Amino acid sequence: MIHIFDGAIGTMLQNAGLKPGACPELINIEQPEIIQSVHRAYVEAGAMILETNTFGASALKLAHYGLADRMAEINTAGVAAAKKAAQGKAKVAGSMGPTGQFIQPLGDLDFEEAYQTYYAQAKALAAAGADYIIIETSIDLQEMRAALLAAKAASSIPVICQLSYSEDNRTVTGTDPQTAAITLDALGADIIGVNCSLGPEQLVPIVKILADNTDKPISVQPNAGMPKFINGQTVFPMTPKDFARWTPALIEAGASYIGGCCGTTPEHIQAIARTAQNCSEPPRKKPLPQLKLTSRSQTVMIDAALPTVWIGERINPTGRKKLAAEIKEGSLLSVKKEAIDQIKAGAALLDVNMGIAGIDQAQAMKRAVTEIAQITAAPLVIDTSDAAALEAGLRAYPGRALINSVSAEPERLKTFLPLARKYGAAILCLPITAEGVPDTAEKRVDAVRRIVEAAKNYGLKAGDFLLDGLVMTVAADEKACRETLRTLQLYRREFGYPTTMGLSNISYGLPNRPLINSTFFAMCLAAGLDAPIINPYDEMMKNTLAAGAALLGKDPNGRSYSRMESNLKVPKQAAVAEPSTMDTLAAIKAAVIDGEKERIENLVSQAIAEGNDTNTITEKALTAAMNEIGIDFGAGRVFLPQVLLSAEAMRTAFLKIKELLPAQETAKLGTVVIATVKGDVHDLGKNIVAALLANSGFALIDLGKDIDSSAIVKAAIENQADIVGLCALMTTTMTQIDHVIQALKEAGSNAKVMVGGAAVTQEYADDAGADAYAPDGVAAVKLARHLIGKK
Amino acid sequence: MMPIYNAPLLTIDHKEARRYAGLMTAKFDEQAIDAACEEALLLAEPHGIWNIYEYDSKTHIVQNEKPFQIKGSKITAHLNRAEKVIILAATVGETIEKAVTRHFSEGRYAYSVLLDAAATTAVEQIADAIEKAIQAQISAKGYTMRWRFSPGYGDWGLDAQPEMLRLSDAPNIGISLTESLMLYPRKSITAIIGLVRENNETPIVHLPHDCAACDKTDCISRKN
Repeated sequence: MIHIFDGAIGTMLQNAGLKPGACPELINIEQPEIIQSVHRAYVEAGAMILETNTFGASALKLAHYGLADRMAEINTAGVAAAKKAAQGKAKVAGSMGPTGQFIQPLGDLDFEEAYQTYYAQAKALAAAGADYIIIETSIDLQEMRAALLAAKAASSIPVICQLSYSEDNRTVTGTDPQTAAITLDALGADIIGVNCSLGPEQLVPIVKILADNTDKPISVQPNAGMPKFINGQTVFPMTPKDFARWTPALIEAGASYIGGCCGTTPEHIQAIARTAQNCSEPPRKKPLPQLKLTSRSQTVMIDAALPTVWIGERINPTGRKKLAAEIKEGSLLSVKKEAIDQIKAGAALLDVNMGIAGIDQAQAMKRAVTEIAQITAAPLVIDTSDAAALEAGLRAYPGRALINSVSAEPERLKTFLPLARKYGAAILCLPITAEGVPDTAEKRVDAVRRIVEAAKNYGLKAGDFLLDGLVMTVAADEKACRETLRTLQLYRREFGYPTTMGLSNISYGLPNRPLINSTFFAMCLAAGLDAPIINPYDEMMKNTLAAGAALLGKDPNGRSYSRMESNLKVPKQAAVAEPSTMDTLAAIKAAVIDGEKERIENLVSQAIAEGNDTNTITEKALTAAMNEIGIDFGAGRVFLPQVLLSAEAMRTAFLKIKELLPAQETAKLGTVVIATVKGDVHDLGKNIVAALLANSGFALIDLGKDIDSSAIVKAAIENQADIVGLCALMTTTMTQIDHVIQALKEAGSNAKVMVGGAAVTQEYADDAGADAYAPDGVAAVKLARHLIGKK
Repeated sequence: MMPIYNAPLLTIDHKEARRYAGLMTAKFDEQAIDAACEEALLLAEPHGIWNIYEYDSKTHIVQNEKPFQIKGSKITAHLNRAEKVIILAATVGETIEKAVTRHFSEGRYAYSVLLDAAATTAVEQIADAIEKAIQAQISAKGYTMRWRFSPGYGDWGLDAQPEMLRLSDAPNIGISLTESLMLYPRKSITAIIGLVRENNETPIVHLPHDCAACDKTDCISRKN
């Protein structure tokens, strides 16, 4: 059966005389007959489910009108009005809309406050007799999670979860429909859908993706097209006929609950109800029971038929003193860095372990999960043996996490499985029993069977399990490897669920562990390992995986393997000209121009060994290089970062010369005092000029940023500066240039003044009485040489 | 209520960072640009905040207890049809700025410029995400957004900054103003966005947008 929802309420309330700016939900109490008549019109049009006029009736929203204390009363009246209009002919869905605030860390609202707000509203709606709770128009998966958890806790009536997607088919905070379907299904939503923001045509593909990723019923409530503003009014352009034309397509895509959102009227609902009469319920393919994990914005699947998934193990303070100390001090910088680096190295999931003695692990887990989720799309694995830390992590995580791990120990089953169920997490099943580690594959299968059966009793199902093969040390037990391989094979045969494990235990106590580890890894891949937990920076493991994928047919014809750079016969990068065939000074010059500071040190040593003195190297190689770069920069052939690489190479060269020939003073072209003027805190541009001058043979005194004119004058006099360089980035600060020039003159300095910065122009420099205007750092070097020549 | 949205930054746009670094189409070590984008991702402390106000396009006044008069021919032309305006502020915080300075002082000049460019890219991405969040709110009411315009563009003076800070509630996300009207942390922006609806009487004024609107023709990041 196709279930027909009602359409929009807001427009009809305005037509019935609701004043703009008034609280639309207060009508439930003050003029219930208006609400009832709107509902009645929808019932007559064929709606089978009425949504209550309580979209904005959470205490947080009502607070804008000073009505927070009447929350329960308003929701109760909302349900009563709908029920009265329905007369038993339609069901009533208690509507809960967004709070209007983002949940931390995206916004200021605490997750628990959002939860409590929704809990109270859902409780009121259910107590008043609603048949469903509908959470709708949500733009953030985390807010939806708070509302859904609250609704499930507050009542036992079915919950409908509808997110709202933008034109890029993601919610505002980045969730795609697949990720939404998987996350909300696991979290216990009874009906999953989409409403608002777009017209029916744009929602067809979203409905399709939702339906492909859950076996729950799908609901859809589009707007009547994209709004237009005509004759002073916002109008949704689709006629009931046009709107209803999309009904068969929406049903075919998988929707069995259809209604309307903004701009829809009883006529629209009547039209879709009529069209739907001729449609049968959509045939639904049962989604494959693959293990699917999600973050806020991405889904990762683990399955024998799919490419191997890497679980990065590095966010773990065990045995890493520095990381542990940092976490203990409250810094998550290294943790976040490990997250970014592991993903770059190929990890698709990140294990997060905060097991440090003497800290509040629940708090630490919550923080880590929250912060990592802000910078990566990889789903997380909550790795803890502490139930409080587990719940804190699962609750805070805006996605579907994996729990690492659930063993067959009774205490673990009792504490972890209800949390997995409540938060829709998948579990890593570790075949350890109260008696310890089973030594044979058969006993491990038995242990896992106990975990899976217990989990199923809590409501978990296929697609929620990842089985650990368990790795023991081969140095201590010669059967360790073989039993693990057999375990993997038996898992596949007995359960068919995907498998995981950490690998490095195998080689403990043996020499050349990487060889043992990678060989073992290859064997495990063949035996059916789907998601190894490894150090993703390990190149040998990475190469083994690539070779393994080619051998096992997961990389057809070894195509990816052939493209790996380490497997290419000729390296991609063209061979650089052999420096030894070149004159050493020319080679230094070339290295500076190419910004190759790695080569410079050896070349400088070589040049000195060949008997060149400081001035020869500087003039014939370094200065010559800088001149050439200057010309290329001026002509637009090279760009600022390339010039800076050359400057870095120059710097390396000068440092080397100084080290090898400490007695030889480099001749200085002149002394430059440089500063960003008072009131201006930009210093990158000034730093660039200073670095280029310093590496072109000038003695530099860099005073920094936000420097008072008196300090600049003092430094110029004391150092007998030949040139004073002034930098100002903004129109509001460049007037300081005039002050400094004036003050320099008054103090009797005969230094030449060179100015620059984003807002400064030649014209301004001339008016201020500067001797030169440098539009960029390269020009500054040229001008500085010129000014020195003049003196 | 002032809406706060600290948008998640999952990547920093390599291409944009490249452009802000002034690399145009030059060959460069792309891994260094990636590394800068990753460090920016790690160090960014993204925050965004905004408010929506009624706007009188005839008098150029943003309606508030303390009205805000907008001055400048380009900005007022740009807002010629706006009924409401969004005033927003965004920042990536000061940690990243310190890292830019540190890299430079340790001799990594080029990388420092790349990181600075990645930070600029990040601020713009946060502002883009805020626009997306507001779009979801306003589109059902028939509004569309004009592109965002900041003090300092064209002839809209920086003296608008104090009012932009006040009306966006920027101090709530840690943005302040120096005496010389610079935003602190340096990698911060304020901007105004006009909200318009279909209306056949007055055509929208379409000014050159983006880089084309800017007078600084020798800017190293200029497009085209």
